[in-house]
Amino acid sequence: MTGPLDAFWAVFAREVRGASRSRTYLLLALALTLVVFGLAQAGNGPSAGYIPTVVDVLLVVEVLVPAVAFAVGYRAIADDAVRGTLDVLATYPLPPWAYVIGVYAGRAVALLTVVLVPLTILGVAVAAMAGPATTVFATHRGVDSPLLFVRFLALTAAFALTALAIAVAISALADSRRRAILLALVGLLVVVVGADVTVFRAMTGGVDVGLDTLLGLSPASAYRGLVFETVLYVAFAGRSGFIAVPVAAAGLVVWAGVSLLVATLAVRMRRA
Amino acid sequence: MTDTDTYLHATDVHRTFGDVTALSDVSLDVPAGNVVALIGPNGSGKTTLLRILAGLLAPSDGEVTYDGPDATRPLGYLPQAPTFRPGFSTRETIAFYARLVDDDPDELLDRVGLDRVPDRRVEALSGGMTRLLGIAQALAGDPPVLALDEPASGLDPGMSRLVFDIVEELAADGHSVVVTSHDLPLVERSADRVVVLDRGEVVAADTPEALRERTGGPLHETFTSLVQADDSVAIRTEATQ
Repeated sequence: MTGPLDAFWAVFAREVRGASRSRTYLLLALALTLVVFGLAQAGNGPSAGYIPTVVDVLLVVEVLVPAVAFAVGYRAIADDAVRGTLDVLATYPLPPWAYVIGVYAGRAVALLTVVLVPLTILGVAVAAMAGPATTVFATHRGVDSPLLFVRFLALTAAFALTALAIAVAISALADSRRRAILLALVGLLVVVVGADVTVFRAMTGGVDVGLDTLLGLSPASAYRGLVFETVLYVAFAGRSGFIAVPVAAAGLVVWAGVSLLVATLAVRMRRA
Repeated sequence: MTDTDTYLHATDVHRTFGDVTALSDVSLDVPAGNVVALIGPNGSGKTTLLRILAGLLAPSDGEVTYDGPDATRPLGYLPQAPTFRPGFSTRETIAFYARLVDDDPDELLDRVGLDRVPDRRVEALSGGMTRLLGIAQALAGDPPVLALDEPASGLDPGMSRLVFDIVEELAADGHSVVVTSHDLPLVERSADRVVVLDRGEVVAADTPEALRERTGGPLHETFTSLVQADDSVAIRTEATQ
């Protein structure tokens, strides 16, 4: 007798095995490597240290990471729906949540590999090229440190996982591959700029909430704000409060959680 | 083969899609150890009824109840056009489904005769082999009831007979098998009970022998007399075999 956890692992293993055979993911990783190294070299960041490197690549990472997440996730569930696999799986002891989380976790492994390997190599390049002052572990402002780059990696991973959850939800709502592409493009726009625009409209509309809190509600600005607040702050002596850190962190978690809930409900509704 | 146990009951099932009525007051029982064949012209509601029986589609009215034995997976389902994720071998594909119900993938492949091609990629399988892999998937977990949607569609006569041989073996093992098909000679040979659907309604339900007696000819003659003339063109008859 198998339980929901065993079913989750079966789905997870299928996703990881499928991803490990995909050349598309390898190409995505290579493209991301070329872009971040090209930008960092153009900005001369690696020879200057971790913080200058993060500054060089932040804007592009903020756009490329959700783009890669959507590329990895936009057909995750739509393909199974189009093939009729969801109907078949509905006859197995596989709860919708175990299926959705299994698909998400499997794709997350692929996404994090595609995103973090190039950035980690970039960090190693900084360690090799930058001056000795960057090797210390910073405990106060003004000091560059590999620890700050590790924080940048962790925040980027969190942002990527949030974007992937949104992509998986969109994939669950799509009833064809064409619609999955269309919805993914709309979703990507919402993640990259749409939510920011909504926040600014809310501000100009007289919403009585601080900007630091409002920014935490948009995935992209939450990520950007967290990077400023916990990584780049060393470069801004005496300045902080770019964003409300708890709100931004909770914002990313809520976007991911609600997206996976939507995906689960969408899969459940397809069953009857 | 007959048995007194009935695994699946459909009572007054009604299904609409918007303004279109796909099924109207359909009732049928699916006994253990029997093959129940749903036949009818294209668009007569066979697949809709099969999906409702399989629990994949909710009826607008009426109900379907499962009264079979307790099972990890009460019902196995073969879609009309089974498609599998490309890039995986035959064994890897069936192993995924087998793992969900703690079954043996090699035994499942052996049951449908695909044990000779375990390493072949699913996209390299012929149409018949893909259908057999779909049947192996439907058998995973040994479900008491099997719902097979046109399992022999598009297959050559030899492969069609092989598929129906498997269907007969499943019924002989005590499974309830509900199958939709346009292949009336094979239905006539394998089914214990035939349900004829036309425009969403059951126009006849009986044994193949009893249906044949209505016209005195083969099943397709009775079928033609039962369904409206303009609906019967899609049905495969003995003459087209």
